Amino acid sequence: MFRNYFKIAWRNLLKNKVYSFINIFGLAIGMAVTIMISLWIIDELSFNKFFENHDQIAQVYQSQAHNGDIGTGQAIPRPLEFLLRQEYGDNFKHLSMSSWNNSMYLQYGDNTLSKRGNFMQEEALDIFTPKIIKGEANGLKEKNSIMLSESTAKAVFGNEEPIGKVIKINNQYDMLVTSVYEDLPTNTDLDLLEFIMPWKHYITTQSWIENAADSWGNNSFQMFVQIADNTSMVDVTNKILDSKKKANPNVAEYNPQIFLQPMKDWHLRNNFENGVQSGGRIENIWLFAIIGAFVLFLACINFMNLSTARSEKRAMEVGIRKAIGSNRKQLINQFLSESLLVVLFAFVVAIIIVLLSLNGFNRLASKEIDFPWSNINFWSLSIIFILFTALVSGSYPALYLSSFRPIKVLKGTFRAGRFAALPRKVLVVTQFTVSIALIIGTLIVMSQIEYSKNRPIGYDKGGLIQIPVMSQEFNGKQDFMRNQFLASGGAIEMSTSSSPTTAIWSNRGGYTWEGKPEGFQEDFAWTEVSAEYVKSLGMKIVEGRDFSREFATDSNAVLVNRTAVEYMGITNPVGKFIRDEAEEDPEPSLQIIGVVEDVITQSPYEPVKQGLYVFDREGNGNYYNLRLNPNKSVSENLNIIETTFKTHFPNLPFRYEFIDEQYAQKFAAEERVASLARVFTILAILISCLGLFGLASFVAEQRTKEIGVRKVLGATVSNLWMLLSKDFVKLVIIALLIATPIAFYMMSQWIQKFTYRTDISWWIFVAAGLGALIITLITVSFQSIKAALSNPTKSLRTE
Amino acid sequence: MKTIISITDLEKFYSTDEVRTIALNKLSFKVNEGEFVAIMGPSGCGKSTLLNILGLLDDPDGGSFIFNDIEVSDFNERKRANLRKHNIGFVFQSFNLIDELTVYENVELPLIYTGVKPDERKKRVEEVLEKMQIMHRRKHFPQQLSGGQQQRVAVARAVVNNPKLILADEPTGNLDSSNGNEVMDLLTELNEAGTTIIMVTHSEHDAKYSHRIIRMLDGQKVTENVLV
Repeated sequence: MFRNYFKIAWRNLLKNKVYSFINIFGLAIGMAVTIMISLWIIDELSFNKFFENHDQIAQVYQSQAHNGDIGTGQAIPRPLEFLLRQEYGDNFKHLSMSSWNNSMYLQYGDNTLSKRGNFMQEEALDIFTPKIIKGEANGLKEKNSIMLSESTAKAVFGNEEPIGKVIKINNQYDMLVTSVYEDLPTNTDLDLLEFIMPWKHYITTQSWIENAADSWGNNSFQMFVQIADNTSMVDVTNKILDSKKKANPNVAEYNPQIFLQPMKDWHLRNNFENGVQSGGRIENIWLFAIIGAFVLFLACINFMNLSTARSEKRAMEVGIRKAIGSNRKQLINQFLSESLLVVLFAFVVAIIIVLLSLNGFNRLASKEIDFPWSNINFWSLSIIFILFTALVSGSYPALYLSSFRPIKVLKGTFRAGRFAALPRKVLVVTQFTVSIALIIGTLIVMSQIEYSKNRPIGYDKGGLIQIPVMSQEFNGKQDFMRNQFLASGGAIEMSTSSSPTTAIWSNRGGYTWEGKPEGFQEDFAWTEVSAEYVKSLGMKIVEGRDFSREFATDSNAVLVNRTAVEYMGITNPVGKFIRDEAEEDPEPSLQIIGVVEDVITQSPYEPVKQGLYVFDREGNGNYYNLRLNPNKSVSENLNIIETTFKTHFPNLPFRYEFIDEQYAQKFAAEERVASLARVFTILAILISCLGLFGLASFVAEQRTKEIGVRKVLGATVSNLWMLLSKDFVKLVIIALLIATPIAFYMMSQWIQKFTYRTDISWWIFVAAGLGALIITLITVSFQSIKAALSNPTKSLRTE
Repeated sequence: MKTIISITDLEKFYSTDEVRTIALNKLSFKVNEGEFVAIMGPSGCGKSTLLNILGLLDDPDGGSFIFNDIEVSDFNERKRANLRKHNIGFVFQSFNLIDELTVYENVELPLIYTGVKPDERKKRVEEVLEKMQIMHRRKHFPQQLSGGQQQRVAVARAVVNNPKLILADEPTGNLDSSNGNEVMDLLTELNEAGTTIIMVTHSEHDAKYSHRIIRMLDGQKVTENVLV
């Protein structure tokens, strides 16, 4: 029976090549989009599954309130470790403190490389279970040891045996290589772990870290845990929630809450709003899952429309089969097998499309997805996917076609009724509603990004580079190096700063000033800078003056940004003091010498945070900020700067970052969404147009006789073109009317998440509508003009 | 002789928005097993409507229709299809072969629907194609055949299931006279072998092949002449 069905289906495909092409190719595009999105989603969902204990691993997070604003983050104070171990130890199988992911110089012989890694406790190895390839299972026992990832070991030692060798870290410490572990896969959220060094080394290297051991206010560390077998994340969180507050009533005013962020949420649900988990990448997953489903549905609609449009041709066959004894169920099965065959072909084409575009897709989505050839789950899901698509696209035509009454079609009196075209029209309107809504959505996302990019950023990011100098090697050399760089001619100004230009690394409270309201819980962005910071970045002084080397008192001076003035509620800020509130050993008061224009350091979608630029007394900046010489080419400047750098730090690799590139990174996530959305929108339109093209050719064919008669009666080509096109244009206009409010509502919701946002302007809707109309006319006109130009005697003779 | 069809006061109406047309007006007659009956009458007299009801393609609006001792006037679509595929073969004026299937496959189709096993199917299709003398054309598609050949295929398809009854709707209407005669000879042969045939025709010539002619006008039987 099915053989017979497939045979008929196959011959029908061959007989109607244009329809078959539209059906198969349209479905293939839809399926390719769905497959690609599924691969992307599978990859997103696979994050951190690599870790054996992934369902028991968590990072300890902390929420604190400042004036009612609750901030949440990974940073925790050191005493929390001792507290959790002593008072709450039963809840954890393992617990490990960790530094941030640091970039360090690894030197062996003449070879110096910059690599990223963490300082962690021995238990981290039990938590994250890195696969040891060589050396000791626990490579963190000794204080001066280092564990290397496989690729790091290869980069440092080449083919030499790494175990037992000594590496110099930051030109300062000798560390013995104890083990080599397999590189972590890319689909983990643990920062790039190119090496691991012992925590006990970290806490003795710098005095501020040592001193942090009993400081509840110094939130500068991370903690990872594996919870005990008999408990749950929620239970543990409930127990430790107020632990910090209880242990240290002094901090109670900030209402610190300690909780576990389970590993399964690291990747997809890592956003917090006012202390409450508020999504994250999971939103993109939903977004693209919905887009994928829609695009597939659009392709299925093509199949439905073309199948039912051609029903008059198939009606005869249905009539004969029924007369011969087929019942309706058998006919439904037959038409479903036909759609199954089409979907099977489409799937093969879709796989080819996916293979051809996977590289581009990976680039677009910043992924490294391989085609899962050997993944049985993928193929079994594909079978379900094929059956599902065949069912969705085939069921309506099957029900419709199988409902024909045999006597009518056999007597030749069959005509599709007055309303037979109605479902088709509804489906076309659905297609264009989705397409237009996608166009509008994409345009709004793009205009929001464009709007934020055009926002004044408060400094001149072009021609500016930063050199990370986080090594003792650089200590105390900043003035010397500034002179060297300026003398070299590669830079016209240089400053240092404790944070990169495009981030805030430190926030501080505990200050008071004249007129500070009672109970005000201040929280400032804190950046330590050298005297020429404002000059080198090209920032603007709006009040008062810049730092100056002329004034020795400037070592206790501070520049505040415009937002800070408002935040602190002071008028005439210049000359006012900001005092350290600490009772013991307070730092000297800071005198405001000037106000600078706000600089966007964090999210370009959010307001600028109140910031203090403090004079760096110690001379330990983490970055050199160099304003390149505008009279030389960039490469020339870089050459000169590198030569200068290498002259004074021959053992260190020269690394630098362009600030404008760093700044552009801030848009990467949204731009990724935008470019993916753009691609899917174009494909959705393409699919809809394919369907329209098919329908238009069907209508032209169906009305051949009418066109002939009208021509004989004197209709011009343009009359006929209008006649044939206007029905479709009407449908697209209806779609536009439906899509506009839906898209407007959805996008208004989306754009709410940006504090700094563009207005949704009317031209976007006009542009989307005009675009859709023009595309429709082009698609339909090909067929209608062809029909209008045909010789009427020929079309009349065919009857 | 056993009665295969018995209709009593059969009625059928067609309604449009404003007009109600009576297609069959309390029509009654019987057909015995092995009979060859021709139904004649001017266009619009209801003969095709009658044939569709007799062929279980359509249901009457009133009256009784007993097919092979079973009252079928109230059968639903599924029951009718089931009865139809085992008992009735159709021959149409316009052949109504499926263009996408070969001669062989067209003839095989009823056997597939009645669930006959493949070996048996092959045997029976070949047998009937031999009998209709179109075996050499079995791999051709309908549009590659002449009208007479196509109608022979249609007849082959109608009889392959050994139906009790063949309904022919102007079987020679689209054929020239020599091809037409050939088809009529075929039907006569089948009738002589025991198959009941009811044929709608405009042609007095063709009607002469039958045993009995029922003449209709305005949905009613006007005369009935027995030829044999």
